[in-house]
Amino acid sequence: MATVISPETSIRSADDAALPPPTRPALLIWRRFRRHKGALIGAGVLIFLALLAIFAPAIAGWRGQDHEAVNLFNRFQPASAEHPLGTDDLGRDLLLRLIYGGRISLFVGLVTAVLTASIGTVIGLISGWYGGRVDAFLMRFCDGWISLPLLPVLIVLAAVDPTKVGLPAAIAKSPDLSLYRIVLIIALVAWTTSARLVRGVTLTLKTRDFVQAAVAQGASTARILFVHILPNALSPILVAATLASGNIILLESTLSFLGLGIQPPVASWGNILTNAQEIIWSQPMQAIYPGVLIFATVISLNFVGDGLQDAFDPRTEGR
Amino acid sequence: MRYLATGVLAASLALTGAAFAQQKAGELTVAMTQFPSTLNPHIDSMLAKTIVLHMTQRPLTTYNEKWEAICLLCTELPTIENGKAKPVDLPDGKKGVKVTYTIHPNAKWGDGTPVTTKDVIFTYEVGKNPDTGVANMEQFREIVSIEAHDDKSFTVTKDKLKFTYNLMNDFRLIPEHIEKANFDPKNAAEYKKKTAFDTNTTNPGLFFGPYKIAEIVTSSHVSFVPNPTWFGDKAKFNRITFKVIENTAAMEANLLSGSVDYIMGELGVTIDQAIAFQKRQADKYNYDFKPGLVYEHIDLNLDNPLLKDKRVRQALLYAINREQIVQQLFEGKQPVAHTNINPLDWIYHKDVKTYRHDAKRAGELLDAAGFNVMKDGYRHNAAGDRLRFELMTTAGNRSRELVQQVLQSQWKAVGVEIVIKNEPARVFFGETTKERKYTGMALFAWISSPENVPLTILSSKHIPTKENNWAGQNYTGYKNPEMDKLLEEIEVELDRNKRLALWTKFQAIYSEDLPVLPLFFRAEPFIVPKWLKGIVPTGHQYGTTMWSQNWAAN
Amino acid sequence: MTRFLSLRFLQALIVVLVMSFVVYGLIGLMPGDPIDIMLSGDPNMTAADAARLRALYGVDKPIIERYFEWLRNAVGGDFGYSRQHNQPVLHILLPRLVNTLYLMMGAFLISVIVAIPAGVYAARHPRSLVDQAINLFCFAGISVPVFFLALLLIILFAVQLGILPASGTRTVGAQSSFTDQLRYLALPVLTLTIANIAQVTRYVRSGMIEVLREDYIRTARAKGADENRVVWKHALRNALIPTVTIMALECGTLLSGALITETMFAYLGMGKLIFDSILANDYNVALVGLLFACSVTLLLNLIADVLYAALDPRISYR
Repeated sequence: MATVISPETSIRSADDAALPPPTRPALLIWRRFRRHKGALIGAGVLIFLALLAIFAPAIAGWRGQDHEAVNLFNRFQPASAEHPLGTDDLGRDLLLRLIYGGRISLFVGLVTAVLTASIGTVIGLISGWYGGRVDAFLMRFCDGWISLPLLPVLIVLAAVDPTKVGLPAAIAKSPDLSLYRIVLIIALVAWTTSARLVRGVTLTLKTRDFVQAAVAQGASTARILFVHILPNALSPILVAATLASGNIILLESTLSFLGLGIQPPVASWGNILTNAQEIIWSQPMQAIYPGVLIFATVISLNFVGDGLQDAFDPRTEGR
Repeated sequence: MRYLATGVLAASLALTGAAFAQQKAGELTVAMTQFPSTLNPHIDSMLAKTIVLHMTQRPLTTYNEKWEAICLLCTELPTIENGKAKPVDLPDGKKGVKVTYTIHPNAKWGDGTPVTTKDVIFTYEVGKNPDTGVANMEQFREIVSIEAHDDKSFTVTKDKLKFTYNLMNDFRLIPEHIEKANFDPKNAAEYKKKTAFDTNTTNPGLFFGPYKIAEIVTSSHVSFVPNPTWFGDKAKFNRITFKVIENTAAMEANLLSGSVDYIMGELGVTIDQAIAFQKRQADKYNYDFKPGLVYEHIDLNLDNPLLKDKRVRQALLYAINREQIVQQLFEGKQPVAHTNINPLDWIYHKDVKTYRHDAKRAGELLDAAGFNVMKDGYRHNAAGDRLRFELMTTAGNRSRELVQQVLQSQWKAVGVEIVIKNEPARVFFGETTKERKYTGMALFAWISSPENVPLTILSSKHIPTKENNWAGQNYTGYKNPEMDKLLEEIEVELDRNKRLALWTKFQAIYSEDLPVLPLFFRAEPFIVPKWLKGIVPTGHQYGTTMWSQNWAAN
Repeated sequence: MTRFLSLRFLQALIVVLVMSFVVYGLIGLMPGDPIDIMLSGDPNMTAADAARLRALYGVDKPIIERYFEWLRNAVGGDFGYSRQHNQPVLHILLPRLVNTLYLMMGAFLISVIVAIPAGVYAARHPRSLVDQAINLFCFAGISVPVFFLALLLIILFAVQLGILPASGTRTVGAQSSFTDQLRYLALPVLTLTIANIAQVTRYVRSGMIEVLREDYIRTARAKGADENRVVWKHALRNALIPTVTIMALECGTLLSGALITETMFAYLGMGKLIFDSILANDYNVALVGLLFACSVTLLLNLIADVLYAALDPRISYR
């Protein structure tokens, strides 16, 4: 191959980076992260939205409003002191609906992304490290899985009686059931991207000297995978996970579009947006608010991902 | 980057060079949400198919926009009074009827072959063959025999003398001269693969209506051109195209962009969309919100011990404010239903028991039924059972989900807890309602024809069970011997006055027993451009395309 | 290499076979068959009718038996009839496939043509104004749900500007010309491109930033190598590794995953066909469509793996 520059001379191991720590690594990472303005703002936005979501019931109590109580004489009210963003198609306070919607959307996005990244990372590490038949099997499994149609799986799951598969009645009867179902499905479907990504990185890393050295020193496979390879694979995983969590929030809205999403009266940004498509001409703000929130969340997630990538990377130059 | 942007701009300008399709003289483009899977008149049953087919052919008889029975392909509606129908005693002792029809003398298939009794006999042969794959066998099963007198007149013998004895609304002809070659009675199962309606759809010989099919692309569109052999008023358009756009928001955008001219109510946008659209585009279009025979209601599972109690059912109906829902959500365009009988139907009884919103009355009835302990905002009985029901409907149907949430809120106000649990249509209709798997309430609609006898919906003989292969549509499990008897009496009562008395009794029982909670009759919004004339909504399952020869540009 | 390829082909074949069974099973597991749907729509159907129709459509037999019958025929080249449309499967599928290929190729090519230069530029000038603009555009693209994006584009280009058709595959009733088809393709392709370009740009950018920091690039620069050569030859090659993976996956999902775009624009593609067929229990169409999508995914992954080896000398195939 034409690459003349020998990569061997350039490799630093994770151990090198950890060798002369000026301060504790966490602090170092925070210092690097802090330099990324976009990431800081993004983190701020996410924390703000998360706080709103967490304290949604308190906010509802303080404002003396119920996000599910219908008032038919109060439909599509314009913004006012009582309803800062106006009311929705059933006369409910739109702001409060959006705050409650954030609970669902952020939960779905974050929990599913973590689940997805974890499953994908483990499979990718194993596949890339062992290679051969294990790799072939796992990767073909992955290929098949990707082409598995998401919708019939959802429909089948929608029809399964949850009490029959041993779920406790509290969950099976809960209105949040559709939420858990969606988290499960998306996690099961979306892990393949990160698995393939991690596998690729593992393939590259395992031939490098510092890994070979660790093997020669007799380090256990688990140690090599999690101490030597994983930290180096972290940045692509993070990028993938941040992009994925954004995608998942979007996927939730797509599922609402197909009638397989979160069910009323529970609000999510996805179903508020989907419900607004038919009234987009007369009530465009009903679509714009949830749209802006999804937009802000996805952007923030990506900036934070960027910042984390820089922060974790020992080679980040100081500026 | 700059070059790229310039390039994209140039390319888009080049593409837009072709003039955008404006309303072309003599042409009409109509939007619909569904495409028929097959065009064979008897295989499969689907609303989209009948709508497309009625552009190109006509059944023997139908209901018109005034909900009266009329002849379409026949020359005169046979009745016992005019002597063309005669009650007969059948060999097996049952009371049957012989009905004589005459096909319109000028009826000709599009290739010039006259429409004759040969086609009638052939259609009957195809239809009664169990392997053909006919969805609605009932109309063929009730026929004992068909006898041709000459090329144009024939007599049908039916095995039961019902008040609808002279109607053959779904009897759509199959051209014998084309389809005979494709139909092998010994191997009828192959017919659905060979039928010219799907393999050679543009064959003019398949149609005798005002229009014939000129072009068809599966799942996309059907184009019609005038059929010169049509015996009625001449078709006014040179070309009519039905375009399928499933997403109703996109459909609205298509209308505004001019790529479709008219949205038909039968398969068009939702009512709230149409109401909002009317506010913005009042001058460009005419609007017709035809309330029809689409009965939105809530089926109650009467095996549920809480719902067995009639007082609970009545309380549930008193507790909700349907007038308010209809006024606020639908601007009063969808009339409140008191029973399954539409106020426009002649059998409607105006003094039927109604349940105006009355929360106090609802509370009293629930107290009387034992649910008088309030805990956590909901009613409980002495045993500690909470008054709690699951309310299910088809997921993703925005109008229904709105209604559902209002109902949930209104019931909560009297202490009834509702848990919403929606499912995709195919699960909901394919299993949940049909196998009676819903535990409390199921919100959906029945679509019917005028003076329809709901025998399969209310008779105790039609409760779907595993033993009967889940046949019948009495999903509530309603059992009332009086109702069973009444339904059978209505079906065979020929005297209108006597029948009206029976219908009045029917409505009295229905509104007292409340096997289902009536909500409202759905209206179908027609959005018609000002220049388009002749569209007359009917409000029942035999829709506007049956009179497509009257459609004209102004 | 030959051994590697033949092995992978064999594996792919096995995956397709397993998938065919899984998909068959999944459709079979869905509650309600076509007869059930007919039953609930037609009050006059009796139990006998239901049983008769079930037998006629062959849905009364156990699923395993039906699957093997299908497999036997499929191997013999007979993919059967579409239950919904009463037409041979390929008759339905092929035109859809062609439409989808146009859509896919259009979106893919534009994505790559725009994303690689944009990603590289952004990586070379991190946190510059242009980088931030590109970032913002990418984020905007991925943060709008596709159905909504499609609706906005229809409103803008078809309703407000009136320069592009709102929906369809070609002008009805007219002779189909290439420009005519292009006009109908414009909006769906734009929608898909906006939705996908972000992924590719982001991966190119992050891969590139990573690589540009590597010492060998610094060494090359220090030695005075031509900057453009360093970036476009040495760095891009390495940066493309994760990108290639992503693009291969994207392409596979585009084939069956353009469902929402196709629905919004009433564009006749595979995604909608497969979706509708699954919902209508049209086994034959759904299976062949899905297996085709699956095969394409497998093939693209294989190509991606081969490209891996070509791009990174450290990876070799035994």
